[in-house]
Amino acid sequence: MILAVLFANSEGNILVERFNGVPAEERLHWRSFLVKLGADNLRGVKNEELLVACHKSVYIVYTVLGDVSIYVVGKDEYDELALSEVIFVITSAVKDVCGKPPTERLFLDKYGRICLCLDEIVWKGLLENTEKDRIKRLIRLKPPTEF
Amino acid sequence: MAQPLAKKDDDRDDEEYSPFLGIEKGAVLQEARVFNDPQLDARRCSQVITKLLYLLNQGESFTKVEATEVFFSVTKLFQSRDIGLRRMVYLIIKELSPSADEVIIVTSSLMKDMNSKTDMYRANAIRVLCRITDGTLLTQIERYLKQAIVDKNPVVASAALVSGIHLLQTNPEIVKRWSNEVQDAVQSRAALVQFHAVALLHQIRQNDRLAVSKLVTSLTRGNVRSPLAQCLLIRYTSQVIRESGNAQAGDRPFYDYLEACLRHKAEMVILEAARAITELHGVTPRELTPAITVLQLFLSSSKPVLRFAAVRTLNKVAMTHPVPVTNCNIDMESLISDQNRSIATLAITTLLKTGNESSVDRLMKQITNFMSDIADEFKIVVVEAIRSLCLKFPLKFRALMNFLSNILREEGGFEYKKAIVDSIVILIRDIPDAKESGLLHLCEFIEDCEFTYLSTQILHFLGIEGPKTSDPSKYIRYIYNRVHLENATVRASAVSTLAKFGAMVDSLKPRVFILLRRCLFDSDDEVRDRATLYLNTLGGDGSVVETDNDVKDFLFGSLDVPLVNLETSLKNYEASEEPFDINSVPKEVKSQPLAEKKAQSKKPTGLGAPPTGPASTVAAYEALLSSIPEFSNFRKLFKSSAPVELTEPETEYAVNVVKHIFDSHVVFQYNCTNTIPEQLLEDVIVVVDASEAEEFSEVASRSLRSLPYDTPGQTFLAFEKPEGVPAVGKFTNLLRFIVKEVDPTTGEAEEDGVEDEYQLEDLEVVAADYILKVPVFNFKNAWDSMGADFERVDEYGLGPRENLTEAVNAVINLLGMQPCEGTEVVASNSRSHTCVLSGVYIGNVKVLVRLLFGIDSSSKEVAMKLTVRSEDGAVSDAIHEIVASG
Repeated sequence: MILAVLFANSEGNILVERFNGVPAEERLHWRSFLVKLGADNLRGVKNEELLVACHKSVYIVYTVLGDVSIYVVGKDEYDELALSEVIFVITSAVKDVCGKPPTERLFLDKYGRICLCLDEIVWKGLLENTEKDRIKRLIRLKPPTEF
Repeated sequence: MAQPLAKKDDDRDDEEYSPFLGIEKGAVLQEARVFNDPQLDARRCSQVITKLLYLLNQGESFTKVEATEVFFSVTKLFQSRDIGLRRMVYLIIKELSPSADEVIIVTSSLMKDMNSKTDMYRANAIRVLCRITDGTLLTQIERYLKQAIVDKNPVVASAALVSGIHLLQTNPEIVKRWSNEVQDAVQSRAALVQFHAVALLHQIRQNDRLAVSKLVTSLTRGNVRSPLAQCLLIRYTSQVIRESGNAQAGDRPFYDYLEACLRHKAEMVILEAARAITELHGVTPRELTPAITVLQLFLSSSKPVLRFAAVRTLNKVAMTHPVPVTNCNIDMESLISDQNRSIATLAITTLLKTGNESSVDRLMKQITNFMSDIADEFKIVVVEAIRSLCLKFPLKFRALMNFLSNILREEGGFEYKKAIVDSIVILIRDIPDAKESGLLHLCEFIEDCEFTYLSTQILHFLGIEGPKTSDPSKYIRYIYNRVHLENATVRASAVSTLAKFGAMVDSLKPRVFILLRRCLFDSDDEVRDRATLYLNTLGGDGSVVETDNDVKDFLFGSLDVPLVNLETSLKNYEASEEPFDINSVPKEVKSQPLAEKKAQSKKPTGLGAPPTGPASTVAAYEALLSSIPEFSNFRKLFKSSAPVELTEPETEYAVNVVKHIFDSHVVFQYNCTNTIPEQLLEDVIVVVDASEAEEFSEVASRSLRSLPYDTPGQTFLAFEKPEGVPAVGKFTNLLRFIVKEVDPTTGEAEEDGVEDEYQLEDLEVVAADYILKVPVFNFKNAWDSMGADFERVDEYGLGPRENLTEAVNAVINLLGMQPCEGTEVVASNSRSHTCVLSGVYIGNVKVLVRLLFGIDSSSKEVAMKLTVRSEDGAVSDAIHEIVASG
């Protein structure tokens, strides 16, 4: 299960926060834990360079893309390897939508499309689509090219 | 789509300006009224939906009324033909997750989309419907979903399959009917469809071992396209291997497949396969080698995730197979400086597990540099690893103890400091040479310790260990400093510790007295009270206690009553003229409720925790049995068995029994738990039929007065048997009690009860109950020094067996002796094996056993040569008899 996908700006403010199967009372804890993790480790990290951590049986893969930091949390079959696949799809889709690693402003300008991409990538904790070109078409309700 | 709300230009201020600046829920809900316009403005509607999504994604929540209003407005947007808007509508409906009574409004629109000719409408409608639907609607759309699973468009098929995975949680019986379609989808040419279908098919069949095995067999032979599906398949394969359980017999099934996956082009698959191989039950070095080799290559990968995955796996392997992992030590050492601290910590803890005695010093040097820049949580992991390393190489305790004391002086939170203190305490307990230096480190720590809990625990520990050292006086200064410098809790602990020194070390007594007298003027009641008490007991006029032994007993001895009972009695005690009488506290151990017990089952560590190991269990049983008058004259307890379950799991009453063996008695301790909240059991007793245990005669019993819900209690039965004879027999058990109904609201039981019975499983007393598992550290020395005076040798045929492991385990269980030097493990496929056992036979007679096994490769017949040496010929004969009759 992919427990959470979270986007934050460089100051640690949340831009997108989507949880799956995480009780409401634990979400705040996760949010602050992830933001702190980023603050401690993401400084000076290159775009899309992945960082990884585990907390008990939960895995966290996170990275930075432009002004935005992205965190993906998973457990069970979504270990660090599967999560790196998920975050790779997310970063490629975001770059595709924004045309480049986004500034915070650009990210917010494209907010609606980014939400649609996320909806295509992760659905209630499961990875659904993995190719950025296909996702680009799907969010416009166009069938995949190979079909 | 979300268009910029402000004009874009190169102005820096504008660049900073967020399109959602000052966004406010009330205003957005107002804006959502545009959804009701007769002339829909698709672009504006999309912008408003984006704002709603932004609010939801920030963790904002809508009230029921707000959500309903927005939902109803959103449903109007189905009238628009704008594709972009429709996509947003699908998303926002899912996010709003309408309640069951509202869903009906949108169902017909979604059903229409689900049958639409536009594929993408179908895929999205399926996802939305499955998200918001309940069981009744699901049966109506089931037909469409089954079609969708085999749809030519991979997006439609994936949507239906992923929906199936979600729906399986809520409506399993419906989804299970889709097996055939899912099976077809597994053969799909589209990689993602195959991935989702494999996952769903496995979930549908997960409780059917044969079906899972068939699935794995067919897929491992076939063509799996997506690396993700391949990873799933590797996991399912490991599951099949684990469940097939014939690790020792011949070639391991599917190993070749796993091994082939190590050469897959996707890194994810390679790592998954390597991990699966390392986790195989009883994996051999030959099987392990290729997996370790690829993991080693990943240690120097440029991708942090791969490095992490590899080092995490190797860390796990090192716990069970440290030797093969040592090949990776050089690569692992370079990871200590990895920028990613999780990787560095895993590398260090792995090195600590695989390192040898000579590399300890070098390793400690590297770790010292590393410790300063990692967070407490990682430091705790390192401290625990160092503790294990020190126990493994006791000769290296100086370097490791110094390391621990150095980090103890540095900054750190409570948990971290506690982990260090716990480690030092364990080292002091297990390595005698480390005691004095360890205690001094702890003394120095409490000089500047900000945690009251740790200070009091260390003071308590000093009180126990300090007086036994060569120069106890050197600790007094540290302890007495606490009386001046600390808060009342620590001061009171320090007074107790001083008193213990005074009681145990005669030469210190007069000086301790002077110090204790000074404490009589402390500002805190507890400190003064303790000082007064100790002064009176240690140097009193005999009015409080009589002798020196009584003093020690009073200060060091246990209270002889369970602390829980004491606590309850003290709570119930009302201050009056009559003083509290400790003799009024019941001594019967009333075990904790289940939940508490589970919480305590964690591995106890360090301070405050009792020393682990069987000795403490035996002592606890001994104390319990001797507190029962009926059993107090049974002399010394020889052995207590592990609890034997007499009921199936999850029955109304859970009962297990512990067999306590004495020289001429056997006591059965029945631990009973009542798992029905509406019942209270009273006068609980186990009625035993011992007609198949001729040498036993019942002599005493003790019933349990009351057994409330979830609070375990014990009832006992004692039998007499011929002295020193390992009598065996079978006992039939019946639980008899009076049951009373309990009102669940008030928790009160009815006055009248009904007598009832409950049949339990039979219990056997076997020969192994009369042998204690006592290890010897050097079997050859023990064997040689025992001599051949009472050696008895014979050969036995054990009949056909699956493999040697089975035969070896059977004999070990039959004899109940301790396997020594790891000889209980049989190498796979081996035809012969030697196993050595040690133990103590009833009457305290040492026994050593050497077993030589051989198996015939064709008939699987196992033959065994049994050589017994003991201090008594009769005992050697008895061991042979056990084997002959077993």
